[in-house]
Amino acid sequence: MADSTYPMPGSLAEAPRQRWSQAAILEWLHSWVTTVDHKKLGILYMLYSIFFLLVGGVEAILIRIQLMQPNLHFISPQVFNRLFTMHGTTMVFLVGMTYIFGFANYLIPLMIGARDMAFPRLNALSFWLTFFGGLLLYYSFIGGGGLYGQGNAPDVGWWAYAPLTSRAFTPGHSTDYWALSLIVTGFGTIGASVNVVATALCMRCKGMTLMRLPLFVWLNVVTSALALITITPLTAAQIMLLIDRYLGGHFFDTQAGGSAVVWAHFFWIFGHPEVYVLVLPAFAIANEVIPVFSRKAIFGYPAMAAASVAIAFVSLGVWAHHMFTIGMTSVGNAFFVLSTMLVGIPTGIKIFNWIATMWGGKIRFATPMLFCTGFLVQFLLAGLTGIMLSVAPWDWQLHNSYFVIAHFHYVLVGGIVFCIFAGIYYWYPKVTGRMLSETLGKWHFWLFVIGFHITFDLMHIPGLLGMPRSIYTYEANRGWGTLNMIISIGGLIQAVAVLVFAVNLVWSYFKGKEAGNDPWDAWTLEWAAASPPPAYNFATDPVVTSRRPLWDLKHPEDPDWKYE
Amino acid sequence: METHEQSNSSPHGETIHLPAPTAWPIVMAFGVTLIFAGFVTNMIVSILGAVFFVTSAVGWFRQVLPHEAHEDLPVEAHDITIASTRTHVTRIEISEEHRAHLPVETYPILSGIKGGIAGGIAMIFPALLYGILSHHSIWYPVNLLGGAGVANWSNPTTQDIAAFHIQGLIVATIIHIATSVLVGLLYGAMLPMLPRHPIVLGGIIAPLLWTGLLHSTLGIINPVLDDRIAWGWFVVSQVAFGMVAGFVVARQGKIRTGQSMPFVLRMGIEASGLHSGEGEDRH
Repeated sequence: MADSTYPMPGSLAEAPRQRWSQAAILEWLHSWVTTVDHKKLGILYMLYSIFFLLVGGVEAILIRIQLMQPNLHFISPQVFNRLFTMHGTTMVFLVGMTYIFGFANYLIPLMIGARDMAFPRLNALSFWLTFFGGLLLYYSFIGGGGLYGQGNAPDVGWWAYAPLTSRAFTPGHSTDYWALSLIVTGFGTIGASVNVVATALCMRCKGMTLMRLPLFVWLNVVTSALALITITPLTAAQIMLLIDRYLGGHFFDTQAGGSAVVWAHFFWIFGHPEVYVLVLPAFAIANEVIPVFSRKAIFGYPAMAAASVAIAFVSLGVWAHHMFTIGMTSVGNAFFVLSTMLVGIPTGIKIFNWIATMWGGKIRFATPMLFCTGFLVQFLLAGLTGIMLSVAPWDWQLHNSYFVIAHFHYVLVGGIVFCIFAGIYYWYPKVTGRMLSETLGKWHFWLFVIGFHITFDLMHIPGLLGMPRSIYTYEANRGWGTLNMIISIGGLIQAVAVLVFAVNLVWSYFKGKEAGNDPWDAWTLEWAAASPPPAYNFATDPVVTSRRPLWDLKHPEDPDWKYE
Repeated sequence: METHEQSNSSPHGETIHLPAPTAWPIVMAFGVTLIFAGFVTNMIVSILGAVFFVTSAVGWFRQVLPHEAHEDLPVEAHDITIASTRTHVTRIEISEEHRAHLPVETYPILSGIKGGIAGGIAMIFPALLYGILSHHSIWYPVNLLGGAGVANWSNPTTQDIAAFHIQGLIVATIIHIATSVLVGLLYGAMLPMLPRHPIVLGGIIAPLLWTGLLHSTLGIINPVLDDRIAWGWFVVSQVAFGMVAGFVVARQGKIRTGQSMPFVLRMGIEASGLHSGEGEDRH
């Protein structure tokens, strides 16, 4: 092994400390508002995502306080409906969709040796559309006339089933805010997805063939392609809904020859692939973190890339497993049972390959790896309950119960949120130049993992006992009270963990240890740039000869390109 | 990544072209949002949004046509050392013992399918015997199986099940053939795990696993069948299936597995000039 010096003209020189005069603040704000730099836009996406994670988290806590005890009236039923609608919508569209493009924007150009995204201005437009779409959604709290005649937020669930969304049942504008704001954020998603695909396919540096592309980039390309396919039916359905509500359309009006089931089809043909749109970028983070902290190259690179494509492909044919209880033919049931089970195969390949990557490695359980390890266990369990729910007769018993809530929170929190945290701990040093505190990170991890399991392991049980989802309160004689109390306590523990994380983010930004360019001894190109990288990333175009270009530099006696 | 490639000079000398910052994207996004917000507030809001949208579109076009606006950023040279503190590279050792356990020859998967078909024929006899002894009708087990697939046949009486129904026969035949072939295929796929004792696998282990799985889940999948099934006879028919399937498989010749071939051949690579030797033991 020998040290290799990689001349990096363009790394950031120590910036002189600015005095925060009014002009300096305005200039600083102006630089963020007018930026087309992929890194700044990535940071904006991430800050937006974290902000709404906190907002959605507060909504979840309020829901859990309401359900802590039977016959509790901590909030009104109307507010409860708004809270679970806004919680779901926020977490999926304003947190899930934005973290994807936060990581993708910041990292993809750095990982492929490019200076920026393919369409920098479109990139800025996409972010600001998402930003204003989110603001429009939350403006509904002030401007939206709701179901109960009060000015307030949407209350029809994040799935917004017809005919509840018709004007007869939802007067006022709360549902319109839901549809219009998501149309706007949908435009942003389409722009960002086009950018990711174009960047990864057209702007790779010399030597970076598709089979040398970091798996992070591979999975984001697949995610973006999937988003491009699935956002379209949702946007179409929302426009049809608005036509029904205001222009005399009858798309979803059963009594006038339309079909409420058509809405369910439109929504879930978006909604189920959306789960994979959210989870594939989480896999992308795990694909980078697990090998680096196991000190081994990823096991089965081609299989991992192929499995991602397979997941995306199969996920487009499973949507009606959300509709077993709506009623389908036995052939329809059988098809969607089998297609849903089929997703387990490529997902299983991934889990086996991550475990095989860890096997025999010198694992360092730093905070990013702790979160990825938690993700592996929890995502496996989430997959198993998913297979259970894919069986139509089982689903008939448990659909719309808390068992389903527990299952998808296992996926979204146990899988995706754990990976988001892993990714933030892993790349925060690159973005800020400072390390996040490991001590606070470990507190964050252990509190979160304990809170998560108290909440979502136990949440399966009231579901099996018959507790329906979206229920405002329940009678004391149902036997759900103690379980709900413990579940809510778990939620509060998770909230404390997230607060520790927020403190860590702020404290480490000012007081954290200097990170250097490569604090994790990693292998992908972003770690060859300074921390934080200069605006142009690389002064000269890098040339790569393997999947781990920095490994080749660090170990010239044993480079990867000999074996690939 | 090759260090010698880094001697290339910056494409623009001392500075690098990057797209210039612009406010038009945020103005356009704000305009689009106002257009939609106007639908639920006031049409004036939509008109204001349209003004923002058109203005930003014009501004945007003027910024990229005829030449894209850019800014030149000065390059600040600063060497970055790419080095690892972990100087020692260890390879995972795979002892020869591991390889000794890999089967170098096994039964072909096709033999499992043949076994499945033969076993499917064999298990018909104990099933029919059960029907005759318990309900004096060979159609009872047939309808018990086929009734699960006849959608309009709900809550049948015992007499119904013991009578002949063409629908039940057709569905039972389809289910039986499909299941026998698929179980045979699964059996063939599992054979490399237990290549030495196909009759033990097929005749004892597989029936026990299959019966255990069904016993625990049939109540959920098909409660009516679960109420009427005779588990003792079910096990007998499964064992008959497995023994015959195992016997048929055992009579088939073994084939060599890919483990006996060189690594390059196992990978299906036929090109010349391949790295060999050192690449094989890398993990």
